[in-house]
Amino acid sequence: MFGYLIRRILTAVPAIIGVVIIVFLMVRLAPGDPALLLAGEFADQATIERIRVRYGLDRSQPEQFALFVSGLVQGDLGTSTRTNRPVTSDLARFLPNTLELAAGAVLVALLIGIPAGIISAVYRNTWIDMVVTFIALLGVSMPVFWFGLLAILYFSVNLSWFPVAGRGTLQHLILPAITLGVSSTAIIARMTRSALLEVLSQDFIRTARAKGVERRKVIGKHALRNAMIPVVTIGGLEFGQMLAGAVLTETVFNWPGIGRLLVDSILARDYPVVQGAVLLIAIAFILINIVIDLLYGVIDPRIRYD
Amino acid sequence: MTESPAGTKTGRRARAVPKWRRRLFSSPLAVTGMVIIGFFLVVVVAAPFIAPYSPSQQSLRTTYIPPGTGVSFRGPDGQLGLWVSPATRTPVGGVTVDESEQYPVKFFVRGDSYEWLFGLLKSDLKLFGVDGPVKFYLLGTDEQGRDLFSRLVHGAWISLFIGLIAVAIGILIGVPLGSVSAFIGGSFDLVVQRIVDIMLAFPGILLAIVLVATFGTGLRNVMIAVGIASIPIYARIARSSVLSLKEREFVEAAGALGRPRLSTLFRHVIPNSLAPIIVQSSLQMAVAILFAAGLGFLGLGARPPQPEWGLMLARGREYLAVAPHVATFPGLAIVAVVLGFNLVGDGLRDALDPRG
Repeated sequence: MFGYLIRRILTAVPAIIGVVIIVFLMVRLAPGDPALLLAGEFADQATIERIRVRYGLDRSQPEQFALFVSGLVQGDLGTSTRTNRPVTSDLARFLPNTLELAAGAVLVALLIGIPAGIISAVYRNTWIDMVVTFIALLGVSMPVFWFGLLAILYFSVNLSWFPVAGRGTLQHLILPAITLGVSSTAIIARMTRSALLEVLSQDFIRTARAKGVERRKVIGKHALRNAMIPVVTIGGLEFGQMLAGAVLTETVFNWPGIGRLLVDSILARDYPVVQGAVLLIAIAFILINIVIDLLYGVIDPRIRYD
Repeated sequence: MTESPAGTKTGRRARAVPKWRRRLFSSPLAVTGMVIIGFFLVVVVAAPFIAPYSPSQQSLRTTYIPPGTGVSFRGPDGQLGLWVSPATRTPVGGVTVDESEQYPVKFFVRGDSYEWLFGLLKSDLKLFGVDGPVKFYLLGTDEQGRDLFSRLVHGAWISLFIGLIAVAIGILIGVPLGSVSAFIGGSFDLVVQRIVDIMLAFPGILLAIVLVATFGTGLRNVMIAVGIASIPIYARIARSSVLSLKEREFVEAAGALGRPRLSTLFRHVIPNSLAPIIVQSSLQMAVAILFAAGLGFLGLGARPPQPEWGLMLARGREYLAVAPHVATFPGLAIVAVVLGFNLVGDGLRDALDPRG
């Protein structure tokens, strides 16, 4: 297990290096003087020169990259041009909010998606199955921001069941979590259906049925447990995808997370924060995928590492 | 993985084609999807005929008029039909309807003249319109008093075009990259796979956001960004198809007959691995349209006054409480067209599945 962990992390290293290079290049490839981009639109000449020296923009590209990486390793991602705060402190403040939102969304997706998938599989190829399939496809076809706006309109503005925007109580979390979870719910429902159908066609299910176990119990106990392995994996992958998907949901609900920070920073041309947020989301995504790989073995004892 | 290409290829093909086609057309969901896509294609081609008004004509006297305002089903003398009375927004904030005037809505009326098919045809015939000095706002108006329906119709090509270009970029770069990488193998494969890994490390819409943030916003960059973001998916699919095909006898036979390896790849291997790529392309159209609308919504895509659906939705967001229809209808349009591609993609996957 430990050997596998080390090997799995090592395979992620090239991807992490690649992400760092892309984030490094973002500011250099953008049209305009990188020093000006990193200093902000309203910086005076002295500040721009200070930034130029600090990031080594007057030196060669490899030297700049070395400086960038040594800054990263020391946890220095630069300073926001809007707030003048260190980028790392902004990211640390916003990241937990995004994780909270994504966790809520995954919970919603599992709670609705798994039962929907079971129903779909049990009533395979009937109109019930078709309705669930259609709703699931509708779910992945819906722009999250549109769903979020309609949810705000009906449940917050018209019915005043939930606050319109912001973060704080559980009440604040419900609508954004459902919104962010819509497409994952659909994906999990589809996955549950196909995994369950796959398991139901296996020999041990026939054996269980043959020895007289009732159908409900066969599905609920024998089949479902085996079908859950790919479903949980997908749930984890969806959690990773949500770190980026949250960009839209957070914008709609004014949720103070990494995604909204990223978009606000792009619109304000606050490049140090853009770099930091992109780096954080991508690396978090890579790490989540590693964790899922490891969890796979915990859920399914048949899988042995090394 | 994909349908077996072995044996007498032509004989196989002749039987296989009608089979998947029959399966596709017997799925009600897939047929629904095709009908939806066909509908939007008609809208794109016939936009100036279907849209009664210009997408950009503003009028400050008719800002956010809800759909159905001033419309009645009985005319001045009690006749059945669709009748419209002039509606205007008053400075205090309400909409007043002058019911003393009523004009009939008719099919095939004369309207603003337009050029069709790149100037080939000139006409002023509209699918429907009002016979009188008043306008019929089918879906209401937006914050600048523009006809929402006309804007949606005129904006349809943007979403479909972005999807098409993005998918084309993904296929044209991703498929050769993945196939050649699998076919050659070795260190080239290793390098390509690491690049694909890096691109896949940016979840969902993030890679497109990064590209747009770097190279600038606007429609053209959105198409390129969404296209680049779909390259790794195609590269992966093409790679796994080719890997499963390249050891087959027909590849060996082509080599034995003296065909160069790369030529074998493009003439024999890639055509036989198209099924999963076709399926992915329908699903990828859906993803591309959603991404482009998302970027438009975030203010990183199309710029006003372009009638791009995501951007229209973003504008409608600001007036959500006053005029919910401004945000509702562009969203419905996006849902419909994306659903169409997802239904077809899903149906294609089932139809082309060799196990089924």
